[in-house]
Amino acid sequence: MLTQNFWSKQSTREGLSGYAFMLPTIVVLGIFLILPIIYTIILAFHRVQVLGEVSYRFNGLKNFVRMADDDRIWIALQNTAEYVAIVVPIQTILALGLALILNTNIKGKSWFRVAFFLPTVTSSAVLTLIFMWIYNTNGLLNHFLSLFGFSAYNWLGDPDVALKGIMIMNIWATAPLFMVIYLAALQDIPESLYEAAAIDGATPWEKFWCITLPFLKPVTFFVIVMGIIGTFQLFDQSYIFSGGSGGPNNATLTIVLLIYQYAFKNLQMGYALALTLVLALIIMSVTLIQRIFFKEESLD
Amino acid sequence: MTAACRSSRQTEATIDLTLSGWQSNPAESRLLEKVILQFEKKYPNINVKHEVINSQYMDVIRTRLIGDVAPDVFYLEAFEAPTLMKYGVLEPLNSYITPEYNLKDFEPSLLNAFKQNNQIYGIPKDFSTLALFYNQTAFNQAKIRRPPQTWDELIQVSKKLTIDHNKDRKIDQFGIGIAPELARQSFMVKAFGGALTQNNQAAFATPESLKGLQLVVNQYREGTAAQPSDVGANSNSEAFGQGRIAMAIEGAWAIPYLKETFPNLKFAIAEMPTINNRKGTMAYTVGYVMNRNSKHKQAAWKLIEYLTNEAGMKTWADQGFALPSRRSVLIDLGYDSNPLYAPLVAGSKYATIWQAGEILPTILTNFDNQFISALLGQQSLSLAMKKAQDTANREIYLSN
Repeated sequence: MLTQNFWSKQSTREGLSGYAFMLPTIVVLGIFLILPIIYTIILAFHRVQVLGEVSYRFNGLKNFVRMADDDRIWIALQNTAEYVAIVVPIQTILALGLALILNTNIKGKSWFRVAFFLPTVTSSAVLTLIFMWIYNTNGLLNHFLSLFGFSAYNWLGDPDVALKGIMIMNIWATAPLFMVIYLAALQDIPESLYEAAAIDGATPWEKFWCITLPFLKPVTFFVIVMGIIGTFQLFDQSYIFSGGSGGPNNATLTIVLLIYQYAFKNLQMGYALALTLVLALIIMSVTLIQRIFFKEESLD
Repeated sequence: MTAACRSSRQTEATIDLTLSGWQSNPAESRLLEKVILQFEKKYPNINVKHEVINSQYMDVIRTRLIGDVAPDVFYLEAFEAPTLMKYGVLEPLNSYITPEYNLKDFEPSLLNAFKQNNQIYGIPKDFSTLALFYNQTAFNQAKIRRPPQTWDELIQVSKKLTIDHNKDRKIDQFGIGIAPELARQSFMVKAFGGALTQNNQAAFATPESLKGLQLVVNQYREGTAAQPSDVGANSNSEAFGQGRIAMAIEGAWAIPYLKETFPNLKFAIAEMPTINNRKGTMAYTVGYVMNRNSKHKQAAWKLIEYLTNEAGMKTWADQGFALPSRRSVLIDLGYDSNPLYAPLVAGSKYATIWQAGEILPTILTNFDNQFISALLGQQSLSLAMKKAQDTANREIYLSN
């Protein structure tokens, strides 16, 4: 009885000291992460007036019902989905390709690594401004295209190409980050496997297909998940491109930009928060689907 | 006795005031600083902190108003005023205004932009209308003797002014620049008797409004007009300065910009051509408003008064970025007889103020989005405007 009591006491003490050590983190995460999430969920079911006299009025599912009727959400979702569907595969493949090239013993390897990585460490606002110069009707890109006899595009003003302009820029800027991750993973693959495969007479292509790719699977999962989350949250580039309007003709309107407009331009906090929840749900479900997909493959 | 006590205490404690605004030009800011220094000399116990917010001004101000850290006095554009007046975050100024302040001197339409239920919430600091800027060199080369008087003439002249100098099938100079924004096009909505709003709802898809807007769309489709991005410029004034467009519809702010950035440009300004035999243009005004939660309202009013009384306005309004809102100052500084500014001053008689209640921001987003697709020929103007109006009205309905 006594010993048992003592034992349990020690465990509580251990537990307590454990929590005491974690306290700073728990407080910081609680205040800046958990609390806002709870607050978001609660306020998403309210009509919130923040300017002047602050007032909250419970309005049930009205914020969510409203979404079905909101054309701009569908446009934003469509834009975002198109953006994700094009950017994620291309940037992943590009990152893998670059990593494979830089993993071989080419001359000036470290120079290339730095050069490729530079766009990633540059601020995205600066990159966007540089690209806006490149995309200018009299800019570098149109000049380059005209050398091959293409006509000039109004990259910034034409709804058909504005989003593609942002895609190109983002692929160029994020692929190197994932390249570095791939590069690190490539160096973890034991050299002996390749040697054994070479003895068995495997071609380089077979080596890549049967050794490199399977080994990179966990990294690929990570790269795709991070890529999808990042692209779903596209905001700053389209914000700067369109001056915050999502134009021309809603072509660069993304979900996060729409949330920003509702929250800070129209001051409809409740609705904006409801949209935030929906975006979180979308990202979560996409990630879950991928998890299932990747797990099944690894069982084979 | 008590009054003396109070006044002596006031001189001891210094009051810190914040004045927020944007800056269109460093020279303008320097002048304002000068007036503020004079103010601080006159009222030694008031210390003014002048803060410049240049990007996303209204987002910053709104967020600060919500967080209760807004400046005591700040600039406010007329078209944003109805929302702030409705939510009661601005201090009504009626009780502060004395007869010596001479409120009657202000252009009434400008003052009305900051009025709601007979309460004055802001003092207009300056304004500008739109007028037709034209490149004299281009006009001489095309042998056009005078600026177009009617919109039909403008379309004819634009055709003559659209030139491909080096015959590479890329047009080097367009007739006129178009800003496909409601802020610049709403006088076209009104030209044939249309209206932006009716009963607090968007109502710009009527046949009358379409008639005016169709003129703009047709001209763009014909290729004698260009948007700034078509010619690789950021704004119509830049495109005009670079000679890529021969005419532009701009306001007073463009004059110092053009003179400074393009000193060799020879340009003149005319009143807006008549449409449907009627004169029409837009007027934009900015006012000083006081935060209702300001802790030093008396001092804040003293600042507003100092900046907008005749002497104060005269000091900083002679730079020509905008026209002073006091008639006496306008005349004293000779704007009405200056050939560049006279057309802009004349426009103030028939201009409509850029304002349409608190639903304007919603209307604006939807109009801009659909109008550009009509301009690019992706859909007919009537369909685009119908869509914009319906979406705007649904948003207005759902947000209430």
